[in-house]
Amino acid sequence: MFRSVFRAAPALTRVSGMRSGFVKPTFSVASRFYASSTLSKDEITTRIADVIKSFDKTAAAASITGETQFSKDLGLDSLDTVELLVSIEEEFDIEFPDKVADELKSVGETVDYISNNPEAN
Amino acid sequence: MPVAGSSKVQILHMYKEFIRNSNKIQNYNFREYFLRRARESFRANKNVKSPEKISELISEAEKDLGVLKRQSVISNMYTFDKLVVEPLKKR
Amino acid sequence: MFKGLSFVSRRVPVLGSVGYARNGTTLANAAVQRRMYASAKVALAEDLTLETHTDNQTAAIEQANERGAMANPEVMDSGMQSLQHAYRESGDYGTRPIYLDMQATTPTDPRVLDTMLKFYTGLYGNPHSNTHSYGWETNKEIEKARNYVAQVIKADPKEIIFTSGATESNNMALKGVSRFYKKTRNHIITTRTEHKCVLEAARAMKNEGYEITFLNVDPQGLVNLQELEAAMRPETCLVSIMAVNNEIGVMQPLKEIGELCRKRKIFFHTDAAQAYGKIPIDVNEMKIDLLSISSHKIYGPKGIGAMYVRRKPRVRLDPLISGGGQERGLRSGTLAPPLVAGFGEAARLMMKEYGNDSAHIRRLSDKLMNGLLSIDHTILNGSADHRYPGCVNISFAYVEGESLLMALRDIALSSGSACTSASLEPSYVLHALGKDDALAHSSIRFGVGRFTTEEEIDYVIKAIRERVDFLRELSPLWEMVKEGIDLNSIEWSGH
Repeated sequence: MFRSVFRAAPALTRVSGMRSGFVKPTFSVASRFYASSTLSKDEITTRIADVIKSFDKTAAAASITGETQFSKDLGLDSLDTVELLVSIEEEFDIEFPDKVADELKSVGETVDYISNNPEAN
Repeated sequence: MPVAGSSKVQILHMYKEFIRNSNKIQNYNFREYFLRRARESFRANKNVKSPEKISELISEAEKDLGVLKRQSVISNMYTFDKLVVEPLKKR
Repeated sequence: MFKGLSFVSRRVPVLGSVGYARNGTTLANAAVQRRMYASAKVALAEDLTLETHTDNQTAAIEQANERGAMANPEVMDSGMQSLQHAYRESGDYGTRPIYLDMQATTPTDPRVLDTMLKFYTGLYGNPHSNTHSYGWETNKEIEKARNYVAQVIKADPKEIIFTSGATESNNMALKGVSRFYKKTRNHIITTRTEHKCVLEAARAMKNEGYEITFLNVDPQGLVNLQELEAAMRPETCLVSIMAVNNEIGVMQPLKEIGELCRKRKIFFHTDAAQAYGKIPIDVNEMKIDLLSISSHKIYGPKGIGAMYVRRKPRVRLDPLISGGGQERGLRSGTLAPPLVAGFGEAARLMMKEYGNDSAHIRRLSDKLMNGLLSIDHTILNGSADHRYPGCVNISFAYVEGESLLMALRDIALSSGSACTSASLEPSYVLHALGKDDALAHSSIRFGVGRFTTEEEIDYVIKAIRERVDFLRELSPLWEMVKEGIDLNSIEWSGH
């Protein structure tokens, strides 16, 4: 138990530096320590697909892969894309820096960023 | 969006802040309301072209965002049981 | 703002670790706890209890037991059985009821609270102190609020008098105006469907020797203008007719009434507690002389309201409260700046959000009304056209309203009868519309507001449908109705 808590420590200090990480209830962080911080790309893709499905019902039928583009394939406008990325942030308990988020245009790019981010869980 | 480059990014970042902070409100009805209003008002002003109007809308939104940030903190200080329409777990 | 908050979080770990040490947990654990607190800028110590639990099941049973003493035991039984049935079986959802009692009061808008807080943290000056800046700064905020409150009804800010609420305003109008003019005029006209405080104030004036005419309303709940005109006398000083009814949501023809009154030089007072900010009101166009406003019906704080008192032609009235002469001498006493400012912000938001709120409320209330009226043997009470959409009053025949409410503990509603827990009398408003006791007893009022969601409306339609079916299955009357027996043809024998 302690090992996992200490492993999470860098993640916690990171959150404190964020602009709007001010109401993260700490206990919910604690409850997620069972997961390894390194997720497989397949797992990330599946979870992102689930987020997209609950976000936009019309996309439920479309098969979502790494190639799926937010605007071209899902028909999301810039505001929708922002909202989707916030939902994905919440799913993985991370926050994309603005500069990163502005460049994320497809599921694949998002998966890559998350899989390279040790704090995602 | 016909908005000039830098202000478009600025507006999208602001929208992100509205969504993030609305999501943090504990009270179901207030959370849903502020999400709905953020979506509606950003979309309603999507085609505003006049730079004066845009900067006016931005400064108004900055004020509203301040209120939203403070109130989402307060809503986490005094919380209540969830409503019968609210799932207890997110997933 | 964030600097201030991070200060809080620095203190919290100390509190947390103290709590843990006392509980006999290891030091290492306390250290872990400290690290976790450091993560959030605002973290609350876990030993602070800020969660407010609403145990509505216990409350329902307690209330049922209390009422059991006076109600028909069979009805109570059915209520209790359906109570079991009334909750979602799974523990996946919360327990707090959906709030659909917007005519009783509305939730305080977070933006209103945000405006009010600074008056509790720093702006504490007495707005009537004019010798220092503490007074000036609060006074400035009061006048800003007065301006917003006036703008909603297109009045002049000087015509707004802050009171403790619509009840005080209504009392002030009825008692104040008639007392001022008592030498020449001793007659007041009002209607049978007014709010209790208007009816009671009118009754009090009757005891002081005034004559009161209580106008009847038609089955739609509307006042008949010919009847109103016929009731007017040379000695009539005041006509008091509410703008939107609190039980059935019916809107009276304010403009026509205002014109009639102005023509006869009679003052027109309207109780707009349920209408202010929700329907368009222009005091000049509608020739309104006095108008009562309540703050907590427009997502503002409780404990404050206002009265519009026309200046040209001037309306004179005796104040109810004497003192330092604040509020043009009509309502003495130090104003409550937090409440006034919150009220002002609520009024500003009613204007700013008017289009959005109206569309949202109309859409949801249409959905609710269509959903509920598609259940057999249901009737919409009050006019279908002249109404404020946010108030829907429906009778469910062959169901007792109280037992339906009992079975609906997951939805906060009021029966149209607005009865206190002590009386099970049916609504006097529905009676005035000519509804019989049975139908009046089976009516429920639904209030839709700014913060109501579509999800809630869907839940409510489904829940009501299920439970109306359930309660009807228990009713012997319903069995007869299904068999096609005309209930009116039955001769009931007394015991």
